[in-house]
Amino acid sequence: MGHQYQAVQWNKNKVVYDLYMIISLVVFIGLFMVIGLKTYPSGHTAEPVGLMIRALGSAAFSMLTIVLMIGPLARLSPRFNPFLYNRRHLGVTTFLVSFLHFVLALMWYHAAGPLNPFVSLFVSNPLYDSIPGFPFEILGLAALIVLFLMAATSHDFWLNNLSAPVWKALHMLIYPAYAILILHITLGALYTEKSIVYAVLTLGAFGLVAMLHLTAGFREWRTDSGLRHLKKKGWVEIGSPLDIPEKRAVIAPLPGGERVAVFRYDGKIAAITNVCRHQNGPLGEGRVIDSCIVCPWHGWQYSPEDGISPPPFTEKVATYNVRIENGVILIDPKANKPGARVEPAIIDPVSIDEELAS
Amino acid sequence: MSLKPGVLNPSKNDKHDMFVGWDKVPVVDRRFLFGALPLALLGTSGASYAIAKNVSDPGAGARLTTAPHSVTGVLVHAPYPMIRVADAASVYGLRSMLIIAQGKCNTGYDFSETQGHAVKADGVIVQRKNRQLLEVPPFVGDWISDSQDLPADQISTLSSPTEESLGRAQLAGTIMDTKCFFGVMRPGRGKTHKACASLCIRGGIPPSFWARTKDGRETVLLMTDAEGGPVPLDILPLVADPVTAEGEIIRVGDLLQFRADVNAYRRI
Repeated sequence: MGHQYQAVQWNKNKVVYDLYMIISLVVFIGLFMVIGLKTYPSGHTAEPVGLMIRALGSAAFSMLTIVLMIGPLARLSPRFNPFLYNRRHLGVTTFLVSFLHFVLALMWYHAAGPLNPFVSLFVSNPLYDSIPGFPFEILGLAALIVLFLMAATSHDFWLNNLSAPVWKALHMLIYPAYAILILHITLGALYTEKSIVYAVLTLGAFGLVAMLHLTAGFREWRTDSGLRHLKKKGWVEIGSPLDIPEKRAVIAPLPGGERVAVFRYDGKIAAITNVCRHQNGPLGEGRVIDSCIVCPWHGWQYSPEDGISPPPFTEKVATYNVRIENGVILIDPKANKPGARVEPAIIDPVSIDEELAS
Repeated sequence: MSLKPGVLNPSKNDKHDMFVGWDKVPVVDRRFLFGALPLALLGTSGASYAIAKNVSDPGAGARLTTAPHSVTGVLVHAPYPMIRVADAASVYGLRSMLIIAQGKCNTGYDFSETQGHAVKADGVIVQRKNRQLLEVPPFVGDWISDSQDLPADQISTLSSPTEESLGRAQLAGTIMDTKCFFGVMRPGRGKTHKACASLCIRGGIPPSFWARTKDGRETVLLMTDAEGGPVPLDILPLVADPVTAEGEIIRVGDLLQFRADVNAYRRI
């Protein structure tokens, strides 16, 4: 959360996350080099630099595939939230590994020749009018530029200064970048290598990412279809406050397409937008901890009554007017300004006593 | 009464404590991670193993950098700079070693004035099976000097080796840059190497035609134009692609040459 900007606000979980990531990366590249150098008959040895270029490229593609799998996996099960928590470090590391792959490939294949390496990159394979012959290197460069933009703007400083919609739109470019990367691999490594293993792994990775997104998307769509049960005008009925577990929330779609998170805590009911100010995390899947609503994605906190982050933080989300009539929670579908204080509805103490007794 | 239809109750699917990044990891997540993290490591390691294990064989090329190599022979200017050395082990009695420079260029030295001279040259040998290249610095220097060690009759034999036409043939194969293919890149072929091969040939590295005979044996022929001169740069777009061409096969000493007009090459 952003009361002041630091490069990284470290904590134990981030350290463990990064250690695991680095160990996995070292194992991936180390294993690749050992196997790649020992796999051929006597007298046939792969050039270590060329092998390292392949190792880095394979690692970067694997990492980006994992980055893209984490989002839908976390939508399907909260057990994957720990993977989501520090995903930006995985994303930035993916860029760094991709950049190393690019620099080594540029130096190895394009430097020390009669042309400037950057000129060579664009002209040494001139088959721009051919699909199979297309210079796959240019596709890799395009994907790298997107990864750079995302890594460079990954810090919350840019999220706040670019505004959430612009930042989100920019980071959605990861999907076209992934598609371009698949083409980069298909027209490069897959075109060159004979083994079916490469096609199986590349298509498998793409299929896995696509399937997870479709599954998570279908679940969201099914939730949104609940809209047809709601009244188009006036206050929206949610149900009994006793059906909401203590310190938890229910999520209701509103006629305008927004979602509201309705929390029960300390005998009260309060409602705020379901969308976290940080990265659009689902606040309604969070908990009330120490009197604050905590987002399940990155732990951002808001007061249930005014949607403001606790000092020294200053983030604000929209609140909704709420009341209880005849034991039913009612929400005004018109959102208040972010940070507007709303009096929570009080749950009838008698009904709470009955709940406890039962 | 219960919740209205359409209202989502996340607590139904998850009754456990929530993972909060800045807090202690709940037991349920800790248990899940103890299983998931080793599995993820196993999966990525498996992918690494499968990719590395299936990289195609780079071939028998090598760059012999372990010791400096000194060769004495006769300097040849055309179609590409080379040194012919006496070799009793060869059925032709000699070995032709193309001279290439470090990097992706050939040496800028004009060998036409020293054509037929006996010289001693120091460099790194790049070798693929029984073929050798001599990699030298990209400038004229003390890597090359006149030699008095060769008898006159040997100089004469090495200067004018037997030249024999083996007839015309339609060949299918791939255009390579001799340096990378012989052992510098390993593998120095395929589309991932196309730009590098094209750059090398642009820089003056002699192009070779890599074909396989009907019985599957690998054959490498030094490419020239139809008159036996260097191949023009119009060939560059076809480098590293599967191509076919009709031309004449000439044996000059121990070297097979493929003489064909640049317009005779067609992409398959």
